[in-house]
Amino acid sequence: MQSFDILYYDGKTSVSHQASLSLEKDYWLIQYDQEFEKQSVRWEVGQVERDMGFNSLFIFRYGDFPRQTLECKDENLLIELRQLYPDKAFFDKKLNVLLHKNTTVLVGLTLGLIGILLVSYFYILPWFSEKVAEHIPVSTEISLGDTMFENTINHYKKNDSLTARVNDFVKEIDFKTNYPIKVTVVHEDDMNAFALPGGNIIVFDKILGKMKSADELAALLAHEVSHVHYRHSLKNIFRSLSGYLVISLLFNDINGITAILADNSNMLLNLSYSRNLETEADEKAVEILKANGLNLNGLVELFTLLESETNKVATIKLLSTHPLTTERIAFAREVARQQNAPVKKENLEKKWQAIGAERLK
Amino acid sequence: MEINHSDSRQVSFHGEGSKLFGIYIVNLLLMIFTLGLYYPWAKAAVLRYVYQETEFEGSRFAFHGTGKEMFKGFIKAVGIFVVIYAILILAVWSRNNVILSLGMITFYAAILLLIPVAIHGALKYRMSRTSWRGIHFGYRGDLKEFVQEFVIGGLLTIATLGIYSFWFTVKLRKYIFSHLRFGNIEFAYNGDGTEYFKLNVKGYFLSLFTLGVYFFWYVKDLFAFFIDNLEMNQEGNVLKFRSTATAGGYFQLIAGNLLIIIFSLGLAAPWATVRTINFIFSNIIIDGPLDTDSIKQTEMDYSDATGEDISDMMDIGLI
Ligand SMILES: [Zn+2]
Repeated sequence: MQSFDILYYDGKTSVSHQASLSLEKDYWLIQYDQEFEKQSVRWEVGQVERDMGFNSLFIFRYGDFPRQTLECKDENLLIELRQLYPDKAFFDKKLNVLLHKNTTVLVGLTLGLIGILLVSYFYILPWFSEKVAEHIPVSTEISLGDTMFENTINHYKKNDSLTARVNDFVKEIDFKTNYPIKVTVVHEDDMNAFALPGGNIIVFDKILGKMKSADELAALLAHEVSHVHYRHSLKNIFRSLSGYLVISLLFNDINGITAILADNSNMLLNLSYSRNLETEADEKAVEILKANGLNLNGLVELFTLLESETNKVATIKLLSTHPLTTERIAFAREVARQQNAPVKKENLEKKWQAIGAERLK
Repeated sequence: MEINHSDSRQVSFHGEGSKLFGIYIVNLLLMIFTLGLYYPWAKAAVLRYVYQETEFEGSRFAFHGTGKEMFKGFIKAVGIFVVIYAILILAVWSRNNVILSLGMITFYAAILLLIPVAIHGALKYRMSRTSWRGIHFGYRGDLKEFVQEFVIGGLLTIATLGIYSFWFTVKLRKYIFSHLRFGNIEFAYNGDGTEYFKLNVKGYFLSLFTLGVYFFWYVKDLFAFFIDNLEMNQEGNVLKFRSTATAGGYFQLIAGNLLIIIFSLGLAAPWATVRTINFIFSNIIIDGPLDTDSIKQTEMDYSDATGEDISDMMDIGLI
């Protein structure tokens, strides 16, 4: 039987004994010299435990606390152990993989982990942020939207009289939402309109100038209000900020989020809505228009207006935030066709005339 | 008997970033698949590796804690937090101002009490589970005494708007180290609260005035204040700890680690960890006579890891 050079510690003092180890069927025998006397220690195999290690030092412990310890650097010990005690768990598979630096396994695991991280960052996290956006209290949403409004409106020249006229127009329509709808018309040489979380809607005067009927304006407003109503804008913002959200949570810095919202209001309000959100907003808009007895041709006219201007620089902004698809146009035509042309609303027409008069100034 | 007088010794670290990386990856994956329940085993694996690669006088340290022990502690710690938060939530639901304020007071009092309990438990567990040449470390602090000291210091810190915290920190270090044992070797911490206060005031304002440049001297001083005031006592033979860390060294460490982490998007964190451990050990020198053969086993076994787990949940870092 082979014997191995080991270091032995008795668990009582820190003396390290140069010892020899021989393996028997039922026990291990450790022998060393102490003060010129031969000492021998017997370890019952059943109670020997191995310290799972990551280096080439093999450590075994024995008995109750304070335990005896032996250290061995000889690789042959492991081979011998495998042969002598095949049933004994001196080996840990998981550790062996790491120990032998199984590169393929490690690279595979790393790639898998990176995959999981990417999927969570690009899919799970935005999805989760959207769910969070759904549960934000309305009051918080409104104050958040107001902050963003304050930060955006400075960039534009507000048209006070048109703003007042359009808000008069808004009062004639029941938009079927609990959000306080407030329209602001600004002077800008682009065709654009966008909704902020909480009820603020900014409309560029250029698009008003191109409109031909009250129904068309009602359709545009109903569409934007629907974005507000379904929190599309808030969801979009949360999606695109989900990375920041995690970072600010990690660093315990919730104020950071507000600052980012304020600083990037403009960019965040120009995020593009997904096709699903656009469809949802169109459907809700149709519902609003029908409930108010308005002509759905307004929606068709609005889309036709946008379509005819598709290639003009001025419309690019509006079309990039609210992508216009052939399905959307077909949908509008279909619902308009099915509708019995309603009677014109007198009050609304008056307000529309007032806007028209203001536009010409 | 081998006694070497006026000797200098160092602890050295042989860990490799790549091995630690392997452990981290396996840990992360298992934690993801177990929804975090694997955490105690993950922590045990990291500690075992780090201790195993830490060498003093030719022998490696060992960590004997197991995932199972720490999992039991983990469950208890979760239970404690659930109870504390349940009290708070019930108080909020009651919509009664008296109950609400009572609930808040109970909540903060419980947290204030829990911190020292966690530190005490964590020290007892971690020390008992650390050994070198088969000799275990131990923490002999008394829970009641420590909680008392902590609550008094904590209240004084609140009352003085934080100013007392410097004396408080030094007091805690003194208490902890005077109750630390490595077999029959004892420890002591000789820092002075006033000195610590001055050092922090100086460091804070100079960092502010120099737009952060002085920060590296500041952390160097903090490290030196910790290390230089430590001593070990083996049956009357005193060994003193000494820091050799420099501001330049700290700059290299911090700047390097930042670059490593940023450019690897955090993946290379294990290499940064290895650099940090190397930096710390290579800058601590232990001067004095030590008989490495005559350290006697003196400490008791202690397997309750609840304190260790509460500390983790409260983010209390133990060295
Ligand atoms: Zn839209």
